[in-house]
Parts: sequence; structure tokens; C-alpha cells
Amino acid sequence: MTYQTKTISGVAVVSAFAAALSIVAFAAPAAAEDEQEKCYGVAKAGENDCAAGPGTTCAGTSKIDYQGNSWKLVPKGSCETMELPDGRNGSPTALERDRPPA
Amino acid sequence: MDNEAAFARALLDAEAAVPEWIEGRDGGGAERRFSVYRNNVYASLVDVLAGRFPVSAKLVGDVFFRAMARIYVAKTPPDSAVLLRYGGGFADFVAGFPPATPVPYLADVMRLEWAWHGAYHSADAEPLPQEALAAFGPRAERLALTLHPSLRLVRSDYPVVTIWELAARDGEDEPVRLPAEGEDALVLRPALEVEVRRLPEGGAVFIQALQDGATLPEAAARASSSSPTFDLVASLAGLMRSGAIVGMGESA
Repeated sequence: MTYQTKTISGVAVVSAFAAALSIVAFAAPAAAEDEQEKCYGVAKAGENDCAAGPGTTCAGTSKIDYQGNSWKLVPKGSCETMELPDGRNGSPTALERDRPPA
Repeated sequence: MDNEAAFARALLDAEAAVPEWIEGRDGGGAERRFSVYRNNVYASLVDVLAGRFPVSAKLVGDVFFRAMARIYVAKTPPDSAVLLRYGGGFADFVAGFPPATPVPYLADVMRLEWAWHGAYHSADAEPLPQEALAAFGPRAERLALTLHPSLRLVRSDYPVVTIWELAARDGEDEPVRLPAEGEDALVLRPALEVEVRRLPEGGAVFIQALQDGATLPEAAARASSSSPTFDLVASLAGLMRSGAIVGMGESA
């Protein structure tokens, strides 16, 4: 069996590139529709995405529910309006409430 | 052997004697206390591996996984003080670990999890927006792509992505038809979250060639040589859509 390397012409690549772009442009969701943002103080214990700081070093390590210095990705715009028990709200920045004991 | 090396060796080898210059309380032997230290070293490294390969651990159960990890730790202690780098050889070890042979896809699931871990901790980079891609389009025949630094490929003879997805969401009991063919995975973190995608036929060869610096026509030629059904348009669209392209330029 002889090994034959196919060649692809430059013209074919240029047109394939243009076709791929048009597929992507057509299928792209409306801007901002699927954007996410970091939301602090809303993740259940152990279900945070990531955060630095005392009591929680990274994903899945938060100790308590709704821990103020751990965050989770949520759909953009939903962070501060999310309903949580006992009148809590999420925040795009770290919160002082619900910290694990040092 | 200096004291430090002797201490380190005795820590990882449960059969090794405790260095005689270590004294226990009241000048007695230190055997028991040294064993506590030894156990802590093992337990912490096994924890690291269990945390790094959570889906694999689920697949075979925690007891089996931790026993296997303990043997790996003994054979391959960390070679860096940075534990983020620990575990890169674990999948290869498992591939040659006889007790794991009834689960032949386990090593590939672990390679996928290692790729996920690497992508998660890799450098950030901004994918090229569509306008920038469009501007390069007319010169596509001479271009090489710079791919995202988080991009990883995992090729498998098993449907590794499907297995990983099912196990990750505890879906082992769902009625599902596992694909008979192997799956190749693209692992990428375009923004904050790691994404795992299945690649079409020839897709992995195409991306590997691009990663190696091939121009688009060269990479496309390699991919269609390896897979007659390689679809250049679909593969390019997949790269564009997933945010894998962070730069383009004329190849030198």
C-alpha cells in the first residue's frame, strides 16, 4: 500500500474558511444571551465554582451554604435578584456574611 | 546518604527502617510516630489524586480508586512542590495496572480529567472575535493559527466523552446507547469554564497539525489523509465557535 498525502488547494481553504464563518455567524446566540457572571454568596456548601481566601481555596470547597466569599457562575443579571433563604441576596463582589469559622 | 534524603526515603517506603538518629519521646524509638507522619503523607497525596480525578473515582468506586492511588503515590511521589502538577502520569500507570483491566476505558477517562485540570489552570487568552476572523479570511490559504493555551486533545478508542458525561452527572442508570466508536475530545477553557466537546472524524488530526504550526491547507491535507470523511468546513466552524482561535498569522 502506498501512502498518499492529499493536497488541499488554497482556493478550497479560503472558501471553506468563509463557509465556516457564515455558519458560526448564523448560529451565534444573540449577544449577552448566554453570558455568565460571578455571583458571591449563593452557592450551596461544596458547590461553589472557585474563590480565594480563608475557608475556601477553590472549586467545590466552600464549607457552608451561601458562603459569602465563594462564588458560582450564574446567568448575567440574575445574581442580585436571586431569591435565597432568610432575605439573603447574591453579590458580584465578596460578602462578609456567612463565613466559616476561622 | 544525607539525613534529609534518608528521611524522605523512609517516609515513602513503609518497609524501610526509620532512620536511627530519629528519637522518640524519652529517647526511645520513633516507629509509631513516624508511621503517623508516613500515613499523613500518603493520605494527603491520595486526597489530591481523588480530587483531581473525581469522575474516574466514581466509575470504579472510592475504595478501589484510593487503593490504586496509594500504589501510584508509592511508585511516583511528586517531583514538584507544586501539587497542581501532580498526577500527570497517573493515567499511564492505570493503563498498565492489571487490577484495572476490566475497566479498559478508565485510563482514557483519567486522561480527559487531566486535560480538564490542565485547561482549568492554564493561562487566560481572549478568543478572536468574528470580525477579526473575517478579516483574515481572504488570506486563509497562507495562515497558521494560534490556538488557545488551554486547548487539549484527548483521543480514545472508547466513547470517552459519553462515559465521562454520564458518570459526572451520576447518570449511570439512565437508559443510554453507548456509541460503538471511540471519541476524540477537545478540552478548552475559552473564558471561565472548561468545555469538553466531541470532535468529528479527522478533527483531532487537524487541530494537532495546527497546534504543531501547520498552515490551514497543510493541516487540512493531513486530516483528510487520515480520515477520508474529514469535513474542513465543520472543523473550522467548530474551532471558531468554541473560541479556540486566539491569533492568526502568515506562517514563516
